[in-house]
Amino acid sequence: MHRYSFILMRPLQFVPVVFGVSLITFILVRMIPGDPARVLLGARATPTAIANIRAQFGLDEPLWLQYLYFLRNLANGEMGMSIVYRIDVLRLIGTRIEPTFALILCSVLLSILIAVPLAAIAARNQGRPVDHAIRFVSTFGIGFPPFWLGLMLIMLLAVRFPIFPVSGYGETLGDKLAHLVLPALTIALSLSTVLLRSLRAAMVDWLKSDVATAARARGMPESIVFWRHVLPNSIAPTINLLAVNIGWLIGGTVVIESIFALPGMGQLLVRAIFSRDYMVVQGIAMVFACATVLVNFLADIATVAADPRVKL
Amino acid sequence: MSAPLLSIRDLSVVVRGDQGPRTLLDRVSLDLAPGEILGLVGESGSGKSLLCRSLVQLLPSRAISVTQGEVRMGGRDLLALSEAQMQQVRGAEIGMIFQNPSSHLDPLMRVGDQIVEGLRFHRRLDRAAAKAEAIALMGQVGFTDPPRQFAAYPHEFSGGMRQRAMIAVALACDPKILIADEPTTALDVTIQAQILRLLMELRERRGLSIILITHDLGVVAQTCDRIAVMRQGRVVEVGDKRALLARPAHAYTRALIASHPSMPVTNECSEVDDQADEAKVASLPPPSAVPARPLVEIDDLHIRYPLPGGLFGRRRSFSAVKGVSLQIRPGETVGIVGESGSGKSTLARAMLGLTPIADGHVTFDGVTLRGQPRVALAKIRHQAAMVFQDPFNSLNPRLTISQTLTEVLRVQGKVPSAAIPARVVELLALVELDPELAGRRPRQLSGGQCQRAGIARALAVDPRLIVADECVAALDVTIQAQIVALFQRLVKTMELTLVFIAHDLAIVRHLCERVVVMHHGRIVEEGPCAEVFERPREAYTAALIAAIPDIDPERRLLAPPVEKLAS
Repeated sequence: MHRYSFILMRPLQFVPVVFGVSLITFILVRMIPGDPARVLLGARATPTAIANIRAQFGLDEPLWLQYLYFLRNLANGEMGMSIVYRIDVLRLIGTRIEPTFALILCSVLLSILIAVPLAAIAARNQGRPVDHAIRFVSTFGIGFPPFWLGLMLIMLLAVRFPIFPVSGYGETLGDKLAHLVLPALTIALSLSTVLLRSLRAAMVDWLKSDVATAARARGMPESIVFWRHVLPNSIAPTINLLAVNIGWLIGGTVVIESIFALPGMGQLLVRAIFSRDYMVVQGIAMVFACATVLVNFLADIATVAADPRVKL
Repeated sequence: MSAPLLSIRDLSVVVRGDQGPRTLLDRVSLDLAPGEILGLVGESGSGKSLLCRSLVQLLPSRAISVTQGEVRMGGRDLLALSEAQMQQVRGAEIGMIFQNPSSHLDPLMRVGDQIVEGLRFHRRLDRAAAKAEAIALMGQVGFTDPPRQFAAYPHEFSGGMRQRAMIAVALACDPKILIADEPTTALDVTIQAQILRLLMELRERRGLSIILITHDLGVVAQTCDRIAVMRQGRVVEVGDKRALLARPAHAYTRALIASHPSMPVTNECSEVDDQADEAKVASLPPPSAVPARPLVEIDDLHIRYPLPGGLFGRRRSFSAVKGVSLQIRPGETVGIVGESGSGKSTLARAMLGLTPIADGHVTFDGVTLRGQPRVALAKIRHQAAMVFQDPFNSLNPRLTISQTLTEVLRVQGKVPSAAIPARVVELLALVELDPELAGRRPRQLSGGQCQRAGIARALAVDPRLIVADECVAALDVTIQAQIVALFQRLVKTMELTLVFIAHDLAIVRHLCERVVVMHHGRIVEEGPCAEVFERPREAYTAALIAAIPDIDPERRLLAPPVEKLAS
């Protein structure tokens, strides 16, 4: 078997996962107390109007039949209509994917840019003041809650020194990036500390490893020992850690998007839950679940690419 | 002797610790002549590896430093060189290979690229020239298909091939001196013979000087010109190989030579051995003298391990044991020998019900493991015990030795709880372990002491059968000899049945009455030890025996062409 043949086989495992996720979200969403028709029409709606809306969206059918409709639509690539926005759920989500995706991408890139150099400096100066300083500062990243960090960043870099916009999302690429800096930085400050600790620990171990000793014994200068032998070997365990954290981020951008008023999926999800917009909640849950599965799949590919010994 | 290439004078190395500085190397002086192979012998902790690390200023910790002495090479004192100058010495003048090539080769880098790295750095070759040179080097060290193997990763090779790769990586920098730190300790005897022969060939061809660090006097006797014996940071004796082995001046050297398993049995164990010989004679004609029922009976045993396969791919498996039949009678001492991967450990685990059986039968004292698994396992757990290879990791690090023994005694329930402390003391006495050590944890003990504790734990079961899986492989020779003597005494006094698994044939010959030779999951030969070792019937057995480095330099090491190099 070829080492990469799992790329063809693994997607087949997604089918039961997606099926399971669809069932669970369907049931959970309907366990939220409240009636979407009543939320939509307000407190003074007549029973006939409510019944009409319920019939229009199939809410008067038995639950199992609603689930079968949901599955049938899913198979056709449809997720139904939003009760509130009155448009197709997939199209609705489509308009909101970009900010969330861009936010996660920027956060991850920023985290790596922060974590790798700091981990390298700390590991190569293990036990010295600079190592202690980096580790001390990094505990703050873990200790402070992101919503608080976000507010502090807004106050400092948007209000006190108005370098970046306070909130919202732009139109042009440059504008969009400018709006993403603060939210991405907020996430990166905590995510990078997690990566930094894992990377530093791995680097410290590999710097003492037989591989490093052997490289030094053939006269390799410390820079080659580090960048060519220590760093690649240290990255492997961090890949999976990063994947787990991205998975968490996909659902976890809700808070950040709310603070920075980013029109992303997290924000849409919160509104949909409040207005009992079942179809939208279901749709977003499905997208989140699939994205998480996809990220882990990509992490598996990265792991295999990074380490020739790994077979999946 | 011609002018030395390398000259070490009064080298002292000290470690700064909590209890003040401690001397690790004490005024060591040694010379290495051009083209000479110098054997550095001694037990772990004697400072032989540290000495070699000091030469190239690669000390394992910042707390360790050289306090005096000089290392002269080419008119310079290596110890006075700066780090940048030292980088030109390391690799290019003094190369190193190590005991464990698996952990010293970069797992993420192609083998060829690791060779190229040195060529480009030290010899400033361009990429294409370096690659051509690397492929040529790989051919020299015995790779069969260098252009293809250039692109392979270390994990795709066997241990022996990895060591060849390590040698190629070291040679790439074209050193004058090669320091080989226990280069064959982790290898099978036949592979060891090939690697030793390669080192001697390279010496001839390139005029290489080699410092060979080893604990095995047999290896030294077969390869080196001169021997330096180290103990506790001092060189206690240096001299020409033949003179030193024939007339060792220092008591420690004599003890080392006496501990070598290929030596005739010394006075201490002779009495035991005489009786063992009688037992052998008695057991030779099988019928009347021995009990009718074997303690362990293995019949056409097959064991397969599943290999990782695809979701829909056919489940493939690897056959570790293929149709082995074996009977072990009560009181017997059976050695199972074979190279790594021959299935000997798997067979041993199967005997104790520790691994699922694919086909065939294992019967313990009349109960079959597959027929009545519960009864059989209960019986095995009460009457059999295992001693493992790694004395440290097979003991619970959080428990003291007496807690470990108490746990076994309590679970077994053969001894009333009130009598347990007394039994613990008794067990420690049986394995000759100082009762004061009972309160210690494994990390606070030496390897030999740990293994004694491991044996005590096995004896706590009060077993009829002990299976010892490579239980002396990780120990120094003198400790090995002690543990083997301990087993001999235990077998004799306690009516134990012993299954002793080892890749070291000399030890098995020393300890066991009967030997089983395994190869590729099959038994290729079995019989009384004396007979098999004197007159092996199978070519494979003969090759294995011939590959043991004898401590007598005149009995040349034959590297038998049993197995072609891994393809």
